[in-house]
Amino acid sequence: MYVGGGLLLFGAVVIGVVETLFGSPHAVTSEGQIVHEALVPLEVRSFIILAGLLVWLLYAVYKVSSADPSTAAADSAPETAD
Amino acid sequence: MSTQTSHRLETRLLGHEVSVTLSGPWTAYWIRFLGFVMGWYFLHAGLDKIVNWPFDAGWFVGGAAQASILAPVVTPFADGAGLAFVNVAVPVGQTLIGLGLVVGGLTRVAAFFGAVLMTFFYFVNGPGGAWAHGMVNGDLLALLLFVTVVVFGSGKVFGLDGYLRGTALVENHPRLQYLLG
Repeated sequence: MYVGGGLLLFGAVVIGVVETLFGSPHAVTSEGQIVHEALVPLEVRSFIILAGLLVWLLYAVYKVSSADPSTAAADSAPETAD
Repeated sequence: MSTQTSHRLETRLLGHEVSVTLSGPWTAYWIRFLGFVMGWYFLHAGLDKIVNWPFDAGWFVGGAAQASILAPVVTPFADGAGLAFVNVAVPVGQTLIGLGLVVGGLTRVAAFFGAVLMTFFYFVNGPGGAWAHGMVNGDLLALLLFVTVVVFGSGKVFGLDGYLRGTALVENHPRLQYLLG
């Protein structure tokens, strides 16, 4: 759960901050388009974000397959994030 | 039967005890509202393609996708039987996903496949438009909203899933609950 979200935040936000602070000057057009040369290849960021989504998917499959279905509908089933 | 208006959720997150107080009515209202709007988003997109049939996804799977990291998965569907499949699967899929979310039936299945479709849209439309609106754009936000519906469900609030949960089929096969909202 944390790994998936961490990868997604790293690819989208952390590298985004690095691009904003240290990337080449970039302008925003009147249509809102961002024009600049990327410091970190966009393909690399895409792979990091995709990896995060896939980790979430695998974690969800694991949780669904390993949980006791008889407690699936319980309103107060104890659970911790992991 | 008493009806609480707020609920305190306590759990552990990153090794810390955390608690969240949620307004019952606002939570129920919001997850249903979100499910309905996301449902209409896809129902409209699917019906629009069906009403204006024929639909041709060739520009997407054979054109825009070539610049995507998903090209190895998408471009094999660029012609022949693969393209014919996509031309039907996308409009019908969007319509069924939208319908499921609007009526609150098989909510988590519908939202899951909504997130899958948005994953393709995000990683193909993004490089196709040179990521002109950044990497956190409307497609990624829609993807995350579908995931939100998967996490919280919405079909149990004024939805068909509330009825389906009480049927003998679901009660005899508890694992089916994971498909519902």
